[in-house]
Amino acid sequence: MTTGNNALPELQTKTESSFKRWLTGIFISLYKVYQFISRFFREVFFPPYEFKEVLKQCYEVGVRSLLLISLTGFIVGVIFTKQSRPSLSEFGATSWLPSLVSIAILRALAPLVTALIAAGKVGSSIGAELGSMRVTEQIDAMEVSGTKPFKFLVCTRVIATSLTVPVLAMYTGFVALIGGYLNVSQNEGTSYTTYMEQVFEPLVFVDFWSSLAKSILFGFTIGIVGCYQGYNSSKGTEGVGKAANAAVVTAMFLVFIEEVIIVQIFGWFR
Amino acid sequence: MENDERKLAIKVGVFIFLGLAIFILGIFTLGGQQKSFVKNIHLGAVFNDVSGLKKGNNVWFSGVKVGTISSLHFTGVSQVDVKMDIDENVQAYIHRNAGVRISSDGLIGNKIIVIDGGSPQAPIVQNGDMLQAEKVLSTDDIMKTIQQNSQNLLVITNDFKTISGNMVHGKGMVGALISDPTIALQFRNAVKDLQATTANTARMANELGRFTDKLNSKGGLADNLLTDTSVFHQLKLSVAQLKQTTANTKALTDNLNRASSKLNSSDNVLGVLLNDQQQATQIKSTLNYLNQSTIKLNDDLEAAQHNFLLKGFFKKRAKQQEEQKAAVASDKNNPGN
Repeated sequence: MTTGNNALPELQTKTESSFKRWLTGIFISLYKVYQFISRFFREVFFPPYEFKEVLKQCYEVGVRSLLLISLTGFIVGVIFTKQSRPSLSEFGATSWLPSLVSIAILRALAPLVTALIAAGKVGSSIGAELGSMRVTEQIDAMEVSGTKPFKFLVCTRVIATSLTVPVLAMYTGFVALIGGYLNVSQNEGTSYTTYMEQVFEPLVFVDFWSSLAKSILFGFTIGIVGCYQGYNSSKGTEGVGKAANAAVVTAMFLVFIEEVIIVQIFGWFR
Repeated sequence: MENDERKLAIKVGVFIFLGLAIFILGIFTLGGQQKSFVKNIHLGAVFNDVSGLKKGNNVWFSGVKVGTISSLHFTGVSQVDVKMDIDENVQAYIHRNAGVRISSDGLIGNKIIVIDGGSPQAPIVQNGDMLQAEKVLSTDDIMKTIQQNSQNLLVITNDFKTISGNMVHGKGMVGALISDPTIALQFRNAVKDLQATTANTARMANELGRFTDKLNSKGGLADNLLTDTSVFHQLKLSVAQLKQTTANTKALTDNLNRASSKLNSSDNVLGVLLNDQQQATQIKSTLNYLNQSTIKLNDDLEAAQHNFLLKGFFKKRAKQQEEQKAAVASDKNNPGN
């Protein structure tokens, strides 16, 4: 039995050791992520290329998410326009609504909303799918049978998300602008030509390139996080749920972090 | 299986194609709006203050967007060299003496550069030309003017307040006019007098009209003066004679002036007589002497008459005088003879 004098150093020692374990665990996880990403880049550029699987994943990730993404984008456009109007009308500047909507949607909202929707829908799907394959040892079986599971399962999905999320972001932006136009047209009676003129008035090419770059990075992040969580899942069916959940949460968190960083980087080019 | 894969590929292809089409359409629309895909010429201008102008802001010419700001950098002491990309199609309409100024595309809108002015006599701008920057009132300047106007307005309203207060309290001419019934009555009377005067004036004008009618009537003096050339000739002759008479009178007056001036001077006899006191005294004493001498001479002559030498002569003359008187008297009594 420990005495009162010995209790404090013992607690301190336990805290230190648990902090070290936590810190070590983080660095190990980061290293695993680094290894995972490095492996992706090592394998993606070399044959055999799994075109059919990439196409299939593009269909799953892109085409099947199109309706959901378009609907969300339309609602975002309408709501954002509607909610911005009172603030602008205080200055008598409702004619600036198209400019405000275009800056907000094309610079930030379109890639961000698309990424969040994709992280929820696609990231969880990938995490759960790969996690179940891991716990049911299908991945091990593929390795034994000579198929490269990483190339077939991970590379194809990450390529698919990196390709389709930018395309989805473009749809989102377009549909959101249409939603904004319907609201502006209904309230201010602005014509489509005038609206589009005003939409592009404040934009510069950097806005397009930054949105494209962000969407590609978001897509890559969603794919790689989903695949990582699913590919490294364990503990049976419980691990599948955890992998799916972790894929969504981590992907969303990383998307916001990346958003902040990219905004700063492209701010230098403006 | 093969068919399903083909359908899948088509769907994915269409999906990606439409997404890329939206992206490319956006790029081209933006490029078209910003004149990024048209040939540009580069113009410049140096401003003392660009008021927050940024790269990418628009350039307007006659109210039309014709280009964008390509760069801004400091030059000289603290001036800013602004470079503009201008649509080559507009080059033919911008002349070298055109001015540029910084404006805004709305009350609180983005800053823009406006190209204006320029006469057709000046040559057309060329790539790399520098345009003359015009100084415009900044918002601070406008605010200063507004502030000054407000202060002036305050002073004016205070003065007005004082004046209206005085008027209400019956001070001053206007106040008295408003509040004093006597002045109002006098004013009313003055207006009545003015009305009467106006009526008189109207009547006088009528009289004057009639008078002028008479003057203009045929055979009148004025009409003859204006129309009869012989009358005019006679009048002219009379005037000439009058003129001659005036000249003669003037000469006469001059002579008189000269004579009177000589009378005033003491270099002649009359002048001395009139002006010299001493000479006058001497003359007076001389005359006295003469008078006395005359009396004495009379006495002497009286004495001489009684002298025996001259007594016969005087008697003879007296006798002749009496005879003449008698003859005259008889003539008066007998005028028929």
